[in-house]
Amino acid sequence: MRRLFATVSTLLATALVGSAAPPDPQALADRIDARLDARLAAEKAKAAPPADDAEFLRRAYLDVTGRIPSPHDVYDFLADKDANKRAKLIDALLETPRHAGHFAAIWRATLVPEVAAVPEARVFRSGFEAWLRQKFRANTRYDVLVRELLTADISPDADAPTPALRRPDDPNPLAFYAVKEAKAENLAATTSRVFLGVQIECAQCHDHPFAKWTRDQFWNTAAFFAGVERHGDTLFGQLSETIARREIVPVVGKQAVAALFLDDKVPAWGKAVSPRVPLAAWVTAKDNPFFAKAAVNRVWGQFFGRGLVDPVDDFRDDNPPSHPELLDDLAKAFADSGFDLQFLMKAIGRTKAYHRTSARTDATQDDPRLYARMAVKGLTGEQLFDSFVRATGFREGVGRNSPRDQFLTRFAPTGKEPETSIPQALTLMNGKFIADATTLDSSPTLTAACETPGLEMAERVEVLYAAALSRLPTEKERERMLKYVSDGGTGKMAERLGDVFWVLLNSAEFRLNH
Amino acid sequence: MRTQLTRRHAIQLGTAGWLSSLAATAADHPERKRACIVLWMSGGPTQTDTFDPKPGHANGGPFKAIDTAAAGVRIAEHLPQVATQMKHLAVLRSMATKEGDHGRATLHLRTGNLPQGAIDFPVFGSLVAKEKTPAGSDLPGFVSVAPRGLGTAALSAGFLGPQHAPLVVGTAGDTYGDDSTGGLQVENLGLPSRVSRHRMDERLTLLSESEADFLTARPGTATASHKTAYERAVRLMKPAAAKAFDLSDEDDKLRDRYGRNRFGQGCLLARRLVARGVPFVEVGLGGWDTHDNNFKQVQGLCQTLDPAWATLIADLKDHGLLDTTTVVWMGEFGRTPGINPRQGRDHYPNAWSVVLGGGGIRGGQAVGKTGASGMEVEDRPVAVPDLLATVCHAIGIDPTKQNLSNVNRPIRIVDQAAKPIREVLS
Repeated sequence: MRRLFATVSTLLATALVGSAAPPDPQALADRIDARLDARLAAEKAKAAPPADDAEFLRRAYLDVTGRIPSPHDVYDFLADKDANKRAKLIDALLETPRHAGHFAAIWRATLVPEVAAVPEARVFRSGFEAWLRQKFRANTRYDVLVRELLTADISPDADAPTPALRRPDDPNPLAFYAVKEAKAENLAATTSRVFLGVQIECAQCHDHPFAKWTRDQFWNTAAFFAGVERHGDTLFGQLSETIARREIVPVVGKQAVAALFLDDKVPAWGKAVSPRVPLAAWVTAKDNPFFAKAAVNRVWGQFFGRGLVDPVDDFRDDNPPSHPELLDDLAKAFADSGFDLQFLMKAIGRTKAYHRTSARTDATQDDPRLYARMAVKGLTGEQLFDSFVRATGFREGVGRNSPRDQFLTRFAPTGKEPETSIPQALTLMNGKFIADATTLDSSPTLTAACETPGLEMAERVEVLYAAALSRLPTEKERERMLKYVSDGGTGKMAERLGDVFWVLLNSAEFRLNH
Repeated sequence: MRTQLTRRHAIQLGTAGWLSSLAATAADHPERKRACIVLWMSGGPTQTDTFDPKPGHANGGPFKAIDTAAAGVRIAEHLPQVATQMKHLAVLRSMATKEGDHGRATLHLRTGNLPQGAIDFPVFGSLVAKEKTPAGSDLPGFVSVAPRGLGTAALSAGFLGPQHAPLVVGTAGDTYGDDSTGGLQVENLGLPSRVSRHRMDERLTLLSESEADFLTARPGTATASHKTAYERAVRLMKPAAAKAFDLSDEDDKLRDRYGRNRFGQGCLLARRLVARGVPFVEVGLGGWDTHDNNFKQVQGLCQTLDPAWATLIADLKDHGLLDTTTVVWMGEFGRTPGINPRQGRDHYPNAWSVVLGGGGIRGGQAVGKTGASGMEVEDRPVAVPDLLATVCHAIGIDPTKQNLSNVNRPIRIVDQAAKPIREVLS
């Protein structure tokens, strides 16, 4: 035990000395592993072995780019002999446009979940995601992104308000204000929950006996948005802001409450500047005690299936992190890097913990707070649809009420756990997509498996495994599937291979990120 | 050695061959079980313009109060059909809660608890489903019809696990279509045209064999949920179960009486499901968040609500189901008695109304009281756990029963401090 602590200290010291150089993701990765290993040792838990290359490849593609790899990617990666190929893969995937698109979808869901929940709000989706996509494509520093969102241009002249939506597909951050009905309390609640990890909205109506935040503090934060106004009653109403307004009357109450930061500091007001500007500066300041922690915890939760503080947006004294020192290390490294999200993800992608298999190899691996084996994560609607398209070879439609749009509605994640619903199972068993994918004349992948000349039957089965599960079948699986195909009798090959493909696409292994 | 171990695990966990065959038949359930239907008014319905009218007071607004079938119980004028059923209903006018945020109040009313760190509280429907679903039933124990506006956490079975999660129907499309199903059918229940039942059974067998190892090696919510959803979906695909959702079985005149809209047809579906042993059904009606233009909006909502609810009570009675089916009308909070400058009413948890009726409820009365302005509860304040404990008693569940939670601590169906409202129980 003492030796382990010594190791941790040495690593920390090394990292501190090197702080002037550009940040090294491997150094942070080592520090993360040292913290996790110390805890595993203390709990006498045994870490699972590394995932094999195919398991790792599929996971990295889903986490970083939001869809499974192509069979071509699978064969290339399995053949690659480079000892450093996993780190290289993560770095390369972070550079792809797909990565920006995937993260835009994730942050869209986090910042404006109303877009999926309220049908009238759906039209805001593409412009808001387009705006986020631009930011992630340029690896915009996280603090800059948040400042741009919180200080988005809104006309200070009520007679010349800003349209919330011009052309729906143009990049536009104003969906954030529009779908929250330009209400100060909604904007304050989301800002503190998403960017600071604290749920001050629980204090909207009254002081909670067990929570740290008071009702006044909630309205102090809301007051920064008090000047934002919507013209008209619809979601598409134009927006303006009375920038001199820095106080608000609580919904249940009479006394106006002034704008004040959550740490009770008094803002330094600039002339002719929106109160959102000092708020954004305080939220994203390097010394803000919440900002970096909330961000690293969210990204950690995305990659490991569970935040160090869980739920990821519920930092409270009575909901402590599983690894407090690790959270501090990550937050500091992230802030020191200039809030570089790619640096953070490169580090996470290099950890031993991220490389572990999700299969249980020891009874001590079931407590998810130990990260002893990789969590099995659900897929978002986007991840599932895009993976389905890739596996089956369908041409993807876009736009409202396209197959993708319908799929996203049905497969919107439910609850905080990765759950599959009955209607989802029915869609995957009986729906049009799956019927087409498993019928020869409408399925590019099945056609390739059945009609490529000169393949052994085992190779035809292999094509389906590579397409759907991004790996080769085991010996046992190969035999089982070959027997199933031959049991169908002559002339039934396409139908039986269609059944095999149906089984793979309906399996938990396809439906989950493991 | 390794193979043996794997196989033993598979048997222990029951993962091999876990999908039942489509051909297997369901067990019979002759004895009548008690059930609950919740009419969920998303957004927070105004009490002043429905069940706690304040005629003559500045807060009262333009609606008149009318007499009902229960002597002395007066309600607002736009629920005339419900008024005729009032002897089966008990109005509770003294809800006193604290949450004025939609999300938190919804979770509070639907789980009986406020979010507490890592505890993953189940919604009440899932708790009832766990207690009351007949063994071997092909229909889920909790069906949620058109739960528009409900966040995902408000539909979660939480620590009870995915087998008690609701089957959600009626979410497709934005509005009610005029097709015969009312948009309430379970989509994709039927097999694809080129797939026979025999072929589907072969596929299901192959699926359960080939993923047993993956599932066994990865215990946890994600895999359990996948396995459970497929099991439940396959049961639902059996013709008898699927038939429950086919409203074209019903008399056209009856369907007209419920109202040819999603909520009306949803109430009819609720009766069909309860008749087939489903213990908990909720039907959602959204649009109650009337910050602006409250009176016009509420009048419109009542035109949907009134015939559907009144017909549901009458129809349950006609089918001999009213004595065993408790019907609850509720939202997440009430609305301000004061009228805002936009002719709207805002969120108000301090003093509001819910209505209980049918099985286990002593109807024909109003319980609890607000003052002349409607601002405060004057008599018999009721907290959320009190309400849920009352429903438990009405449907024959012990609210103090414990379930093991995800934090390895037993948690009661309803908090122990809850006091059921004895005077509304029959």
